[in-house]
Amino acid sequence: MSCEGLNPMPQARAFRRSPDEVMRLARMGCSHPTRLSFLRQLLRRMQSEGWRFDRPIWEIDAEGVGRAVYRAIGPARTYSLVAFAHDLPPEARSDRVIATAWDATFALFDGTPDAADLDRLAANVPLQEAGRISPRELSLSRANRSVRLFDHVVERLAAGAQPDAAMLLETGYLMRTTAVYGSGKFGAADRAAIAQRPELSAPFQAEMLSVWLTRAFTVDLVEHLARARGGDKAARLVPDLKRGLGVGNSTGLGMAPFVIRHPVLLNNWMLAREEALARVRAQTRVGADELAGFQAALEEARKNADLWTSAHDMQRAKLADLSDGLARIIAHVAQGWDRSTRHPWNDLWHWGQDNLPMEGQEALLAAMLEPHGALIDGLGECMDADENAYFPINGAMRAGELRAIVQAHYGWALGVDYAQPAQCARFWYVSEDKLEPRLGERHHEPGVDHELPLDTGRQAAALWQALQDQPEDLPVAHLLLAKPEHRPAVRRAQITARHPFAEIRDNLIADDMLPIDILRCKLAFFGATRFDPRSDRWVRISLFQDAPYPDQMTGGAHEA
Amino acid sequence: MKHDPVTDAALALSLSEIAALSARATRGAGRSWGEAEEAAEAACWLARAGLDWAGALLDVLEASAREVDCALCAGIALADSAPLPDAMTAQVRRVTSPCFLLPFAARIADQTGQRIRLNWDATQVVLAPHACPLIVGPLRLSGPAQVSITPDPQDSPACPDWPQPHRGTVQAREYARLTHLMMAFTVPTSASSLAGAGAQESDND
Repeated sequence: MSCEGLNPMPQARAFRRSPDEVMRLARMGCSHPTRLSFLRQLLRRMQSEGWRFDRPIWEIDAEGVGRAVYRAIGPARTYSLVAFAHDLPPEARSDRVIATAWDATFALFDGTPDAADLDRLAANVPLQEAGRISPRELSLSRANRSVRLFDHVVERLAAGAQPDAAMLLETGYLMRTTAVYGSGKFGAADRAAIAQRPELSAPFQAEMLSVWLTRAFTVDLVEHLARARGGDKAARLVPDLKRGLGVGNSTGLGMAPFVIRHPVLLNNWMLAREEALARVRAQTRVGADELAGFQAALEEARKNADLWTSAHDMQRAKLADLSDGLARIIAHVAQGWDRSTRHPWNDLWHWGQDNLPMEGQEALLAAMLEPHGALIDGLGECMDADENAYFPINGAMRAGELRAIVQAHYGWALGVDYAQPAQCARFWYVSEDKLEPRLGERHHEPGVDHELPLDTGRQAAALWQALQDQPEDLPVAHLLLAKPEHRPAVRRAQITARHPFAEIRDNLIADDMLPIDILRCKLAFFGATRFDPRSDRWVRISLFQDAPYPDQMTGGAHEA
Repeated sequence: MKHDPVTDAALALSLSEIAALSARATRGAGRSWGEAEEAAEAACWLARAGLDWAGALLDVLEASAREVDCALCAGIALADSAPLPDAMTAQVRRVTSPCFLLPFAARIADQTGQRIRLNWDATQVVLAPHACPLIVGPLRLSGPAQVSITPDPQDSPACPDWPQPHRGTVQAREYARLTHLMMAFTVPTSASSLAGAGAQESDND
């Protein structure tokens, strides 16, 4: 939805960062989760609305094979995670999207499934892409065990002991999902069919709910296996250790083009976060609660940075920057931050700009938002998008106006020489085997004639050239009759004119473009932590670490 | 996808599946990305209205007759011109698939707030802003036809509401043809892409 006109803090506009600063890959690749992240929105809603949770079916045998159902019961509707646990030989375990068998497979069902639903799902969900689900399902996913940790936890619990805390912290999850499909994939309900439900209107809420219930399943499964092996002497995971476990996720290139192909949605995510930051910067005082909350958030970030490891050289350098930045922020807040000025948060922000590496700046952003829930949480309702409303091209726009838009919003793209091999080194395509987006090397691989239109900068530059010799008052409809090849660029430009954060302002086919920067930005909006790249195009992350479990959601003991 | 074209008569697809298949099939048929995006949007509109989106799309993509306008290109031009002053003068066009003009004419109705009427053979379709199409007479879907597009004189009954289900069906043979077109647009995954795309070691960690 559009929140234009509803903004209760118009004075914050003066504190907003520009798209030219925010929408660069180097900065997007330093994104941190915030309290506007989608998993946080889900948890807050379920807490505030008093959702109930149960597990009506648990039919898992002593080998860990069978089915289970977890229900989330909201004020208006119930959703059920249907889980199938399998016996997977080690040689079949792969995180790649091309895998064909997994330790566990899941679907999020709309309502409470009956026996016939469960039989239908049992025949299809374990097959994942090779099966077929229905509009009654909102997501389809699978997970593999983190074998070393999983086996260790079962072994210790079976012996009546607790697992090694350091091992738990190091991995951080018992299972990792290798794909979570929603939005109409493989026959599931379309996003449009459920987007009007308040509890699902924010982005990816069904997928987040599925992963959160999966987390409960992973813990139940290790405790079940420990009981099957150890009998009465088996222990349960103590709450502190249990809480530190999330669900891992292995993800790759496939999710990168999503944010390029959904410019209005990307704009709304970015704009909500940037508006939140601007609102905090516009505050004229630092309340005691806000200060305490901010310092607690910094401390949490520091702890998280200590536990956050990566084998990837580039990420290790970023982690060093992050730790260094957080240490400097904590010291400055304790000693140097003058909170008596007219806009103390804004002063702190400017100090960060002058003194912190980009990793530290974006971590500061997340921490500054943390104690300001009352000020910013409502922005979460502005993060969905009515994309169809912006699909039609405005054929009445004149060439002069279009030219001005391109000049104003695509300056980053116009000075690039795309004939240089380095500036057009890559091309995006759809793979024959899995119909997934992939990235190829233009000068060394076949398939360029099947390139996806994700070369946004090059297209904008071509449109700019095409506009040079056109009369100012030429309608865009007539321009496109003569030059239909510029249609995608015209649409993006018209969208960007109204959605300034719609476009990643970098050359997405350059040789130095890092897909993981796109992934990190998107995953931060999901709420992912422990971003751990394994190459420049796939990563492991963790979701819901330190979040409450279903049985901890009442009583307000754990704020989401 | 689990689908046997020999035994399955029809398959129900989500709108997002229809959009993905339509866009890629259109590109696979040699059309531009601009046309592919429009074809996907139009196919979804037809599916939502309960019409034969796949048949209409295939009519467009597989047409060879030169003397007939492509309904996709004609529709795009019509919709682009919707906000121009001379947009809604009456037009008569001979197009590859009259049905495929409907989503674009609907966009004119949406943008101008006018009801639009299309006539071909014994078929009349009225499009009110943001409404489901009102179809009078037999809806002949396949083959080219001479279509007249005019403002609706407002003497037609009210247009129906959109049906609830967000799905579309496709006959097995049409699904196979669209998939064939789509596959023409894919690329075998390269060695270098494979190299960075997953674990170099076992995932049993």
